[in-house]
Amino acid sequence: MTDMSNHASRISLFEVDPRTRRRNAAEKRFRAYGATAICIAVIALVLLVGTILRDGSGAFRQTYLSMPVALSAEKLDPKGNRDPAEMSKVLTLAYGRVLDDALDAAVAQMDTQIEGLSEKDMTGLVSKEASAQLRDRVLADPELVGQTVDVNVLVNGRIDGYFKGRVSKESAERDSNTSPQQLMLADALAEDGVLVTRFNREFITNPDASDQRPEAAGVGIAILGSLYMMLVVLFLSVPIGVAASIYLEEFAPKNRLTDIIEVNISNLAAVPSIVFGILGLAVFINFAGLPQSAPIVGGLVLTLMTLPTIIISTRAALKAVPPSIRDAALGVGASKMQSVFHHVLPLAMPGIMTGTILGLAQALGETAPLLLIGMVAFVREFPAAPPEGLFDPASALPVQVYNWTQRSDPAFVERASGAIIILLIFLLCMNLLAIFLRRKFERRW
Amino acid sequence: MPLSWALIASLLLAVAGYLIGRNRALGAAGPDVRMLHSRPTYHGVSVALTTFGPAAVIVVLALLLRMTGQIDPTTGGVAGLAVLGGAILGLGWGISRIGADFQARSAVERMVMSVLIICSLIAIATTVGIVLSLIFETGSFFQKYSWHEFFFGLEWTPRFDGNSRLGMLPLLWGTLYISFIALVVAVPIGLFAAIYLSEYASPRIRSFAKPMVELLAGIPTIVYGLFALITVGPMLRDWIAQPLGLGNSASSVLTAGLVMGIMLIPFVSSLSDDIINAVPQSLRDAALGLGSTPSETVRQVVLPAALPGIVGAVLLAASRAIGETMIVVLGAGAAATMSLNPLEAMTTITVKIVSQLTGDNDFSSPETLVAFALGLTLFVITLCLNIVALIIVRKYREQYE
Amino acid sequence: MYDTTRTESAVSQQDIKISARNVQVYYGEKHAIKDVNVEILDKTVTAFIGPSGCGKSTFLRCINRMNDTIDIARIEGEIRIDGDDIYDRRVDPVQLRAKVGMVFQKPNPFPKSIFDNVAYGPRIHGLARNKAELDEIVEKSLRGAALWSEVKDRLHEPGTGLSGGQQQRLCIARAVATAPEVLLMDEPCSALDPIATGQVEELIDQLREQFSVVIVTHSMQQAARVSQKTAFFHLGNLVEYGDTDDIFTKPSDSRTEAYISGRIG
Repeated sequence: MTDMSNHASRISLFEVDPRTRRRNAAEKRFRAYGATAICIAVIALVLLVGTILRDGSGAFRQTYLSMPVALSAEKLDPKGNRDPAEMSKVLTLAYGRVLDDALDAAVAQMDTQIEGLSEKDMTGLVSKEASAQLRDRVLADPELVGQTVDVNVLVNGRIDGYFKGRVSKESAERDSNTSPQQLMLADALAEDGVLVTRFNREFITNPDASDQRPEAAGVGIAILGSLYMMLVVLFLSVPIGVAASIYLEEFAPKNRLTDIIEVNISNLAAVPSIVFGILGLAVFINFAGLPQSAPIVGGLVLTLMTLPTIIISTRAALKAVPPSIRDAALGVGASKMQSVFHHVLPLAMPGIMTGTILGLAQALGETAPLLLIGMVAFVREFPAAPPEGLFDPASALPVQVYNWTQRSDPAFVERASGAIIILLIFLLCMNLLAIFLRRKFERRW
Repeated sequence: MPLSWALIASLLLAVAGYLIGRNRALGAAGPDVRMLHSRPTYHGVSVALTTFGPAAVIVVLALLLRMTGQIDPTTGGVAGLAVLGGAILGLGWGISRIGADFQARSAVERMVMSVLIICSLIAIATTVGIVLSLIFETGSFFQKYSWHEFFFGLEWTPRFDGNSRLGMLPLLWGTLYISFIALVVAVPIGLFAAIYLSEYASPRIRSFAKPMVELLAGIPTIVYGLFALITVGPMLRDWIAQPLGLGNSASSVLTAGLVMGIMLIPFVSSLSDDIINAVPQSLRDAALGLGSTPSETVRQVVLPAALPGIVGAVLLAASRAIGETMIVVLGAGAAATMSLNPLEAMTTITVKIVSQLTGDNDFSSPETLVAFALGLTLFVITLCLNIVALIIVRKYREQYE
Repeated sequence: MYDTTRTESAVSQQDIKISARNVQVYYGEKHAIKDVNVEILDKTVTAFIGPSGCGKSTFLRCINRMNDTIDIARIEGEIRIDGDDIYDRRVDPVQLRAKVGMVFQKPNPFPKSIFDNVAYGPRIHGLARNKAELDEIVEKSLRGAALWSEVKDRLHEPGTGLSGGQQQRLCIARAVATAPEVLLMDEPCSALDPIATGQVEELIDQLREQFSVVIVTHSMQQAARVSQKTAFFHLGNLVEYGDTDDIFTKPSDSRTEAYISGRIG
């Protein structure tokens, strides 16, 4: 043929030459690296979600002591007039004794006897929270005193852990808070149907509880606090973010100032979240004197943090509306502002909403800045309804998780994972909503 | 709160102003509405805005003065009256402007425009706020503690009884070490994942794998932190550190780095995906047309062309890693040591900011104020990385537009 | 089955390089190429003409299996080069594309130096044993593309810095450097000005001495100037194929006549 051809090219196409074979092997390897990378990412996700589900599902089931309790009038209402004001002077301790008596009675009825069962094992079976629960119930309805009522009270976290496999008879040997005998008693009570494990609604509604009573800890205040902060973020960041985007995208002249604003926004989006926490501490708490742990401060900090995200996505949505729409409006004599508010903004709305929801989801999961503005505080009182409630101390879901990881009792790990499950469910719903909006209203120009 | 009542009252006045304004405009027009320069609604809105605008400005001023301690919070009544007065004056002025020739639409648009501008200035206000609060507090820290010791000190031992050694270097070392491990994990995996998804994956695999990778991005960092604390940390300790005799701590540089790497995978992969897709298809065609295999096309044509963009993406990921807090708080430990052993617990700048600023703070002690100096350092480092990265990425984008 | 002896005994003195039988191409549901049969000669310039969307580029991309890179494309029938069916399972598209080079509509030099652009193909296919041989191949290819004298002093400057016409000739040099036997050109002059077009056309005429050149063009004048054979495509069908002179002077099909006289297009 010609001098340009070479031997390699004269071989029949059906025969793959060694060099090509080598190159194809390299190709396969390269492809395998890519597939491996994807697999690692997917495995990491499965592992992450899997361990959280495994550890956290226990938080939604709880062991209760279900037995009749005789509410002795002489212990709970010494004056005998059923006056709530008088009764509220009776200490929680008295209710604890009433419960202990009831448990004694329940144990006495059982056939089996347990060797070496101590008094401490008996009283320790019931959660320290149980007497307070009973007291609240009686104070709400003083007529109960003197009657025998069926109650459902929490058991100690160790016993609960025993039924969830966290505590075993072997580990109980070394544990000062429980004993193998106590666990045997629990087994016997469970057989009799006195101890029951069922769905734990209180986990979602209860406030946090102290170190010694993980069984009573719930995320009620945390959910409420997160909700309040989201309200603040929604009401501040959406109007401000959309207004700023409209100005920057539609009206801003090209000059130094708008250039600085643009660079500023993209940099703010990448500033570490903890720096926003420092800002909140310095400006909102130390300078402006707003209260610590308040949802209003958390909401303001998260607003500043989500603003860049919302502005960036809103501008993208505005940019996606073709210029012909603006021209059409201007062409019939609308002012620039009318063309934007009557035509461009409604068309960009689905995109703006999607971006807003994703920004809110990001804010909902944010933890670090909230630590600095005191949201880690231990809060037992539910905040009032907004707007006053915004200034009451509250917690937040991710901060509650952090809080529980700092406690020594391993039962709190279960609680922390359970709180994460709730958080992830919220996030999943928000993301699904965003995907739904995008699918439903997506428009191709 | 009289101030809030005054605010509500002025809102009601604004509504009234809207109705009055619209009616006055209709009246001024006489029998023919077309005589008006602007639609009656615009006259109404213009009155409402002139009513509520001054009231809102006075409320903000009052709040600011109250916060800075210039006025006593007990003088709320006076402030409330001032707000109400502002609203009434605004209402009167607004109504007096109405007439057939009054350009209400332009007036409203001017007012709306100024609201828009104020909103977009909030971004700058935030930055100024960050910078001022950091610099101000850092300044008072350096009055109490030598800046030289802070930046070059090799020892971090805060004590509440004074005599603390607050050297930043051990924290910086921990931060950089953990970020380095995170990038070693995230960059190759994220990059290969992006390459696989954009160049190889069939539509079916893509429609499954891409959302999975994006899901990783949507998970809050506290979840990763918990994962490091209860799963990865103990696993590394029991399987690697203890058998090899390299340490006994569940929290370690490797734990935090590994988990942070996983967190950054979707970040690197989605950035790289954008960048790889920005390389024009014609270059791929050229390489394939010459008989390159797809991997040769990627390695020799696509990646070199995308290199600046990918460098920018890695810098952004590095800035993310340096500023990440929850994973290191839960996974890295609290010991300020400088060591090469990745299975030892070390600590970072962000961890120490959290530990110095949570709990009861005494804002005059250097042990608390040091957190602001650390915050400023962190802010400056990440800002530099971001600016460089954004410049590189922007240049890269322009090249192919 | 066909064999090589059959191709050798075929028409005239010139060999048949490419022969297509009953080629069908589908893009998803769309039937883009309908039953195309054509025999393309060696050392000849063959032009594919037709209105836009008629399938001429699609068919061209079948000849070096560039359609493989499009997920939804499906090809039936057979295309043989020197008697070998290129859609046979044993054929490696990578090796095929080394043998069938391609030049694209828009000049697409890699963002590398001029030298590296031309040397890319020889490097990946291992055509040079040492640097000297590589230098030689690059020089020969650049000379072959009539670009040597213009760039010989700046071989290490980026290829993207050349003018449009130079870039396209660089792309031709890059394709020639892999020592192909067939050169496919997909509207190579559509992004060029008239002077650059003239240079490229002149080059195509020279390339005919070494390769079988297939060129897709939307300009009938260009087809008439550079090609010996012309194929007219219309709505996915190969309407007419023959000597260029015959097609332009006495077309046998009414659709061809309508197109060349400018009534459809």
